[in-house]
Amino acid sequence: MEGLGERRRPGGKRPGAMSRRSVAAWLGHPLVGAVCRLLIGGIFIYTSLPKLLRPDEFARLVAGYRILHPDLVNLVGVTLPWMELIAGACLVIGILPQSSAALIAGMLAVFIGAGLLALARGLEISCGCFFPIGGDRLTWVTLLRDAVLLVLALQPLVWPSSFMRGRRG
Amino acid sequence: MAGSSSQNSHRNPAAPASPPEVGSGLTKVLPGALVLLLVSAGLGIAVDRLSPRGIPLLPRPAEEARSEAALPLPPGLVAMSLEQARAAFDAQSALFLDAREPQEYEQGHLPDALNLPPSDFEERFLDVADQVQGAESLVVYCEGIECSDAIETAERLLETGRTQVYVFEAGWKAWVSAGGPAAKGPEP
Repeated sequence: MEGLGERRRPGGKRPGAMSRRSVAAWLGHPLVGAVCRLLIGGIFIYTSLPKLLRPDEFARLVAGYRILHPDLVNLVGVTLPWMELIAGACLVIGILPQSSAALIAGMLAVFIGAGLLALARGLEISCGCFFPIGGDRLTWVTLLRDAVLLVLALQPLVWPSSFMRGRRG
Repeated sequence: MAGSSSQNSHRNPAAPASPPEVGSGLTKVLPGALVLLLVSAGLGIAVDRLSPRGIPLLPRPAEEARSEAALPLPPGLVAMSLEQARAAFDAQSALFLDAREPQEYEQGHLPDALNLPPSDFEERFLDVADQVQGAESLVVYCEGIECSDAIETAERLLETGRTQVYVFEAGWKAWVSAGGPAAKGPEP
Protein backbone atom coordinates (compact mmCIF):
# COMPACT_ATOMS: atom_id res chain seq x y z
CA MET A 1 0.00 0.00 0.00
CA GLU A 2 2.94 2.31 0.57
CA GLY A 3 3.69 2.46 -3.11
CA LEU A 4 0.17 3.57 -3.93
CA GLY A 5 0.48 7.12 -2.75
CA GLU A 6 1.00 6.78 0.99
CA ARG A 7 4.49 8.13 1.34
CA ARG A 8 6.35 7.63 4.61
CA ARG A 9 8.03 10.73 5.93
CA PRO A 10 11.75 10.24 6.59
CA GLY A 11 12.16 9.47 10.27
CA GLY A 12 8.40 9.70 10.79
CA LYS A 13 5.79 7.10 11.73
CA ARG A 14 2.83 5.94 9.68
CA PRO A 15 -0.44 7.51 10.87
CA GLY A 16 -2.16 4.06 10.93
CA ALA A 17 0.56 2.61 13.11
CA MET A 18 0.35 5.60 15.42
CA SER A 19 -3.40 5.30 15.90
CA ARG A 20 -3.16 1.54 16.45
CA ARG A 21 -0.49 2.12 19.04
CA SER A 22 -2.47 4.84 20.79
CA VAL A 23 -5.60 2.62 20.84
CA ALA A 24 -3.52 -0.20 22.31
CA ALA A 25 -2.05 2.22 24.87
CA TRP A 26 -5.55 3.39 25.78
CA LEU A 27 -6.89 -0.17 26.06
CA GLY A 28 -3.91 -1.16 28.16
CA HIS A 29 -4.22 1.80 30.51
CA PRO A 30 -4.29 0.66 34.16
CA LEU A 31 -7.49 2.62 34.82
CA VAL A 32 -9.33 0.94 31.93
CA GLY A 33 -8.11 -2.39 33.28
CA ALA A 34 -9.39 -1.59 36.77
CA VAL A 35 -12.81 -0.55 35.44
CA CYS A 36 -13.10 -3.74 33.34
CA ARG A 37 -12.09 -5.92 36.28
CA LEU A 38 -14.50 -4.27 38.71
CA LEU A 39 -17.34 -4.30 36.18
CA ILE A 40 -16.97 -7.89 35.00
CA GLY A 41 -16.11 -9.25 38.44
CA GLY A 42 -19.03 -7.38 39.99
CA ILE A 43 -21.49 -8.63 37.39
CA PHE A 44 -20.35 -12.23 37.88
CA ILE A 45 -20.63 -11.97 41.67
CA TYR A 46 -24.10 -10.43 41.34
CA THR A 47 -25.40 -13.04 38.88
CA SER A 48 -24.02 -15.96 40.90
CA LEU A 49 -25.96 -15.17 44.10
CA PRO A 50 -29.53 -16.15 43.10
CA LYS A 51 -28.19 -19.30 41.46
CA LEU A 52 -26.37 -20.23 44.67
CA LEU A 53 -29.59 -19.77 46.63
CA ARG A 54 -31.75 -21.80 44.21
CA PRO A 55 -29.60 -24.57 42.70
CA ASP A 56 -32.70 -26.63 41.88
CA GLU A 57 -34.22 -23.86 39.79
CA PHE A 58 -30.92 -23.09 38.10
CA ALA A 59 -30.42 -26.77 37.24
CA ARG A 60 -33.88 -26.78 35.66
CA LEU A 61 -32.89 -23.83 33.47
CA VAL A 62 -29.65 -25.58 32.49
CA ALA A 63 -31.74 -28.60 31.46
CA GLY A 64 -33.89 -26.27 29.35
CA TYR A 65 -30.96 -25.72 26.95
CA ARG A 66 -31.16 -29.44 26.06
CA ILE A 67 -27.41 -29.68 25.49
CA LEU A 68 -26.14 -31.59 28.51
CA HIS A 69 -26.85 -35.21 29.33
CA PRO A 70 -29.45 -35.31 32.16
CA ASP A 71 -26.87 -36.88 34.49
CA LEU A 72 -24.67 -33.77 34.20
CA VAL A 73 -27.36 -31.13 34.63
CA ASN A 74 -27.40 -31.07 38.44
CA LEU A 75 -23.60 -31.14 38.65
CA VAL A 76 -23.39 -28.08 36.43
CA GLY A 77 -26.25 -26.44 38.34
CA VAL A 78 -24.32 -26.88 41.59
CA THR A 79 -20.81 -25.95 40.45
CA LEU A 80 -21.27 -23.24 37.80
CA PRO A 81 -22.57 -20.54 40.21
CA TRP A 82 -19.50 -21.10 42.44
CA MET A 83 -17.22 -20.69 39.44
CA GLU A 84 -18.94 -17.40 38.68
CA LEU A 85 -18.65 -16.21 42.28
CA ILE A 86 -15.02 -17.21 42.83
CA ALA A 87 -13.78 -16.02 39.44
CA GLY A 88 -15.66 -12.73 39.89
CA ALA A 89 -14.35 -12.20 43.43
CA CYS A 90 -10.76 -13.06 42.46
CA LEU A 91 -10.95 -10.62 39.55
CA VAL A 92 -12.21 -7.81 41.78
CA ILE A 93 -9.79 -8.49 44.64
CA GLY A 94 -6.83 -9.13 42.39
CA ILE A 95 -6.05 -12.76 43.16
CA LEU A 96 -4.90 -14.49 39.97
CA PRO A 97 -6.58 -11.74 37.92
CA GLN A 98 -5.49 -13.06 34.53
CA SER A 99 -6.56 -16.61 35.34
CA SER A 100 -9.89 -15.32 36.66
CA ALA A 101 -10.39 -13.30 33.50
CA ALA A 102 -9.55 -16.38 31.43
CA LEU A 103 -12.08 -18.48 33.34
CA ILE A 104 -14.75 -15.80 32.96
CA ALA A 105 -13.99 -15.43 29.24
CA GLY A 106 -14.27 -19.21 28.89
CA MET A 107 -17.62 -19.24 30.68
CA LEU A 108 -18.91 -16.41 28.51
CA ALA A 109 -17.79 -18.23 25.37
CA VAL A 110 -19.68 -21.33 26.55
CA PHE A 111 -22.78 -19.25 27.36
CA ILE A 112 -22.69 -17.70 23.88
CA GLY A 113 -22.24 -21.11 22.24
CA ALA A 114 -25.09 -22.65 24.24
CA GLY A 115 -27.32 -19.66 23.52
CA LEU A 116 -26.57 -19.84 19.80
CA LEU A 117 -27.45 -23.54 19.75
CA ALA A 118 -30.69 -22.96 21.68
CA LEU A 119 -31.79 -20.11 19.43
CA ALA A 120 -30.84 -22.02 16.29
CA ARG A 121 -33.06 -24.86 17.48
CA GLY A 122 -35.92 -22.45 18.09
CA LEU A 123 -36.05 -22.99 21.86
CA GLU A 124 -37.94 -20.35 23.82
CA ILE A 125 -36.27 -20.56 27.22
CA SER A 126 -35.06 -18.39 30.05
CA CYS A 127 -31.37 -17.62 29.82
CA GLY A 128 -30.86 -17.98 33.59
CA CYS A 129 -28.55 -14.99 33.59
CA PHE A 130 -29.86 -12.43 36.06
CA PHE A 131 -32.10 -12.16 39.10
CA PRO A 132 -34.81 -13.38 39.33
CA ILE A 133 -33.72 -16.65 37.78
CA GLY A 134 -35.94 -17.46 34.86
CA GLY A 135 -37.14 -13.91 34.37
CA ASP A 136 -34.72 -13.20 31.55
CA ARG A 137 -35.72 -14.67 28.19
CA LEU A 138 -32.93 -15.92 25.92
CA THR A 139 -32.79 -13.72 22.82
CA TRP A 140 -30.19 -12.42 20.40
CA VAL A 141 -29.82 -9.40 22.70
CA THR A 142 -28.71 -11.79 25.45
CA LEU A 143 -25.95 -13.11 23.20
CA LEU A 144 -24.91 -9.59 22.19
CA ARG A 145 -24.68 -8.65 25.88
CA ASP A 146 -22.54 -11.73 26.56
CA ALA A 147 -20.31 -10.83 23.60
CA VAL A 148 -19.75 -7.32 25.02
CA LEU A 149 -18.91 -8.83 28.42
CA LEU A 150 -16.52 -11.24 26.71
CA VAL A 151 -14.66 -8.35 25.07
CA LEU A 152 -14.44 -6.58 28.45
CA ALA A 153 -13.17 -9.79 30.08
CA LEU A 154 -10.36 -10.00 27.54
CA GLN A 155 -8.92 -6.66 28.66
CA PRO A 156 -7.47 -7.85 32.03
CA LEU A 157 -6.39 -11.05 30.29
CA VAL A 158 -4.38 -9.31 27.58
CA TRP A 159 -3.22 -6.26 29.54
CA PRO A 160 -2.54 -7.28 33.14
CA SER A 161 -3.00 -4.02 34.99
CA SER A 162 -0.61 -2.52 37.49
CA PHE A 163 -3.62 -1.02 39.31
CA MET A 164 -4.90 -3.22 42.16
CA ARG A 165 -2.66 -5.96 40.86
CA GLY A 166 -2.39 -9.06 42.96
CA ARG A 167 -0.39 -12.17 42.15
CA ARG A 168 0.07 -12.49 38.43
CA GLY A 169 -1.19 -15.57 36.74
CA MET B 1 9.99 -1.87 20.14
CA ALA B 2 8.12 -4.36 22.27
CA GLY B 3 11.21 -4.89 24.33
CA SER B 4 11.81 -1.20 24.94
CA SER B 5 8.15 -0.57 25.79
CA SER B 6 8.28 -3.42 28.26
CA GLN B 7 11.33 -1.98 29.87
CA ASN B 8 9.67 1.42 30.07
CA SER B 9 6.71 -0.07 31.85
CA HIS B 10 9.10 -1.54 34.41
CA ARG B 11 10.55 1.88 35.05
CA ASN B 12 7.16 3.57 35.29
CA PRO B 13 4.44 1.51 37.00
CA ALA B 14 1.68 3.85 35.80
CA ALA B 15 2.52 3.22 32.15
CA PRO B 16 0.29 0.80 30.23
CA ALA B 17 1.62 -2.74 30.18
CA SER B 18 2.36 -4.38 26.86
CA PRO B 19 0.22 -7.33 25.78
CA PRO B 20 1.99 -10.57 26.79
CA GLU B 21 3.14 -13.04 24.19
CA VAL B 22 0.35 -15.51 23.53
CA GLY B 23 2.24 -18.75 24.11
CA SER B 24 3.97 -17.80 27.34
CA GLY B 25 0.85 -15.97 28.52
CA LEU B 26 -1.31 -19.07 28.19
CA THR B 27 1.12 -21.27 30.10
CA LYS B 28 1.00 -18.76 32.97
CA VAL B 29 -2.74 -18.21 32.93
CA LEU B 30 -4.24 -21.65 32.27
CA PRO B 31 -2.93 -23.49 35.37
CA GLY B 32 -4.36 -20.72 37.55
CA ALA B 33 -7.70 -20.92 35.73
CA LEU B 34 -7.72 -24.69 36.20
CA VAL B 35 -7.05 -24.28 39.94
CA LEU B 36 -9.92 -21.78 40.23
CA LEU B 37 -12.20 -24.13 38.31
CA LEU B 38 -11.36 -27.13 40.51
CA VAL B 39 -11.63 -25.15 43.76
CA SER B 40 -15.03 -23.77 42.67
CA ALA B 41 -16.31 -27.20 41.67
CA GLY B 42 -15.11 -28.75 44.93
CA LEU B 43 -16.64 -25.96 46.99
CA GLY B 44 -19.91 -26.17 45.08
CA ILE B 45 -20.19 -29.92 45.62
CA ALA B 46 -19.22 -29.65 49.32
CA VAL B 47 -21.74 -26.88 50.01
CA ASP B 48 -24.43 -28.75 48.11
CA ARG B 49 -23.86 -31.86 50.25
CA LEU B 50 -24.11 -29.84 53.48
CA SER B 51 -26.89 -27.44 52.51
CA PRO B 52 -30.57 -28.18 53.19
CA ARG B 53 -31.22 -26.65 49.75
CA GLY B 54 -28.81 -29.11 48.16
CA ILE B 55 -29.88 -31.17 45.16
CA PRO B 56 -28.74 -34.70 44.23
CA LEU B 57 -25.68 -34.47 42.00
CA LEU B 58 -26.87 -37.40 39.96
CA PRO B 59 -30.58 -37.77 39.31
CA ARG B 60 -31.87 -40.65 41.42
CA PRO B 61 -33.10 -43.68 39.51
CA ALA B 62 -36.83 -43.23 38.93
CA GLU B 63 -37.75 -46.31 40.96
CA GLU B 64 -35.84 -45.02 44.00
CA ALA B 65 -37.36 -41.58 43.78
CA ARG B 66 -40.91 -42.83 43.57
CA SER B 67 -43.31 -42.35 46.41
CA GLU B 68 -44.32 -45.45 48.31
CA ALA B 69 -47.94 -44.58 47.62
CA ALA B 70 -47.41 -44.82 43.86
CA LEU B 71 -48.95 -47.70 41.98
CA PRO B 72 -46.50 -50.27 40.61
CA LEU B 73 -45.49 -49.53 37.04
CA PRO B 74 -45.69 -52.27 34.41
CA PRO B 75 -42.45 -53.15 32.58
CA GLY B 76 -41.54 -50.69 29.86
CA LEU B 77 -42.94 -47.66 31.63
CA VAL B 78 -40.72 -45.13 33.38
CA ALA B 79 -41.80 -42.89 36.25
CA MET B 80 -41.23 -39.16 35.96
CA SER B 81 -41.01 -36.82 38.94
CA LEU B 82 -42.56 -33.37 39.18
CA GLU B 83 -39.15 -31.75 38.67
CA GLN B 84 -38.44 -33.87 35.62
CA ALA B 85 -41.89 -33.15 34.21
CA ARG B 86 -41.37 -29.43 34.73
CA ALA B 87 -37.98 -29.60 33.02
CA ALA B 88 -39.45 -31.52 30.07
CA PHE B 89 -42.30 -29.03 29.87
CA ASP B 90 -39.99 -26.01 29.93
CA ALA B 91 -37.70 -27.56 27.37
CA GLN B 92 -40.65 -28.64 25.23
CA SER B 93 -38.90 -31.96 24.88
CA ALA B 94 -41.99 -34.12 25.36
CA LEU B 95 -45.64 -34.32 24.38
CA PHE B 96 -47.88 -34.31 27.44
CA LEU B 97 -50.99 -36.48 27.43
CA ASP B 98 -53.80 -36.00 29.91
CA ALA B 99 -55.40 -39.37 30.68
CA ARG B 100 -58.34 -37.95 32.62
CA GLU B 101 -61.89 -37.75 31.32
CA PRO B 102 -62.73 -34.85 28.94
CA GLN B 103 -64.76 -32.95 31.59
CA GLU B 104 -61.78 -32.93 33.97
CA TYR B 105 -59.45 -32.02 31.12
CA GLU B 106 -61.59 -29.03 30.16
CA GLN B 107 -61.57 -27.72 33.73
CA GLY B 108 -57.77 -27.49 33.65
CA HIS B 109 -54.78 -29.20 32.08
CA LEU B 110 -51.14 -28.62 31.18
CA PRO B 111 -50.83 -26.16 28.27
CA ASP B 112 -50.62 -28.01 24.92
CA ALA B 113 -51.42 -31.36 26.56
CA LEU B 114 -53.66 -33.65 24.52
CA ASN B 115 -56.57 -35.52 26.08
CA LEU B 116 -56.25 -39.31 25.79
CA PRO B 117 -58.30 -41.16 28.43
CA PRO B 118 -58.00 -44.97 28.48
CA SER B 119 -61.80 -45.30 28.43
CA ASP B 120 -61.93 -43.87 24.90
CA PHE B 121 -58.43 -44.76 23.73
CA GLU B 122 -59.15 -46.32 20.31
CA GLU B 123 -61.28 -43.46 19.02
CA ARG B 124 -59.25 -40.62 20.53
CA PHE B 125 -55.94 -42.13 19.46
CA LEU B 126 -56.93 -41.72 15.80
CA ASP B 127 -57.21 -37.97 16.35
CA VAL B 128 -53.84 -37.57 18.01
CA ALA B 129 -51.85 -40.38 16.34
CA ASP B 130 -49.75 -38.05 14.17
CA GLN B 131 -48.67 -35.91 17.11
CA VAL B 132 -48.06 -38.94 19.32
CA GLN B 133 -45.92 -40.70 16.73
CA GLY B 134 -44.01 -37.52 15.90
CA ALA B 135 -43.11 -36.64 19.50
CA GLU B 136 -39.65 -37.39 20.84
CA SER B 137 -41.07 -38.69 24.13
CA LEU B 138 -44.47 -38.89 25.79
CA VAL B 139 -45.44 -37.94 29.31
CA VAL B 140 -48.79 -39.24 30.51
CA TYR B 141 -50.49 -37.95 33.65
CA CYS B 142 -53.81 -38.15 35.42
CA GLU B 143 -55.18 -36.60 38.61
CA GLY B 144 -52.53 -37.73 41.07
CA ILE B 145 -50.50 -40.53 42.52
CA GLU B 146 -53.51 -42.69 43.35
CA CYS B 147 -55.11 -42.77 39.88
CA SER B 148 -54.37 -45.47 37.34
CA ASP B 149 -55.60 -43.78 34.14
CA ALA B 150 -52.15 -42.53 33.21
CA ILE B 151 -50.66 -46.01 33.57
CA GLU B 152 -53.43 -47.54 31.48
CA THR B 153 -53.06 -44.97 28.69
CA ALA B 154 -49.28 -45.35 28.82
CA GLU B 155 -49.59 -49.13 28.48
CA ARG B 156 -51.85 -48.73 25.47
CA LEU B 157 -49.29 -46.39 23.93
CA LEU B 158 -46.58 -49.01 24.40
CA GLU B 159 -48.84 -51.47 22.59
CA THR B 160 -48.94 -49.11 19.59
CA GLY B 161 -45.17 -49.50 19.34
CA ARG B 162 -44.26 -46.22 20.99
CA THR B 163 -41.17 -46.07 23.17
CA GLN B 164 -40.01 -43.39 25.63
CA VAL B 165 -43.35 -43.30 27.41
CA TYR B 166 -43.14 -41.73 30.87
CA VAL B 167 -45.74 -41.60 33.61
CA PHE B 168 -45.85 -38.34 35.53
CA GLU B 169 -47.20 -39.97 38.65
CA ALA B 170 -47.70 -36.94 40.89
CA GLY B 171 -50.00 -35.70 38.14
CA TRP B 172 -52.28 -32.72 37.80
CA LYS B 173 -52.75 -32.06 41.53
CA ALA B 174 -49.02 -31.79 42.20
CA TRP B 175 -48.53 -29.71 39.06
CA VAL B 176 -51.11 -27.15 40.16
CA SER B 177 -49.82 -27.15 43.77
CA ALA B 178 -46.33 -26.39 42.48
CA GLY B 179 -47.66 -23.41 40.53
CA GLY B 180 -47.15 -25.00 37.12
CA PRO B 181 -48.72 -23.29 34.10
CA ALA B 182 -52.25 -24.42 33.24
CA ALA B 183 -54.80 -24.05 30.47
CA LYS B 184 -58.58 -24.51 30.39
CA GLY B 185 -61.15 -25.58 27.84
CA PRO B 186 -61.37 -28.29 25.18
CA GLU B 187 -58.54 -29.28 22.90
CA PRO B 188 -57.82 -26.76 20.16
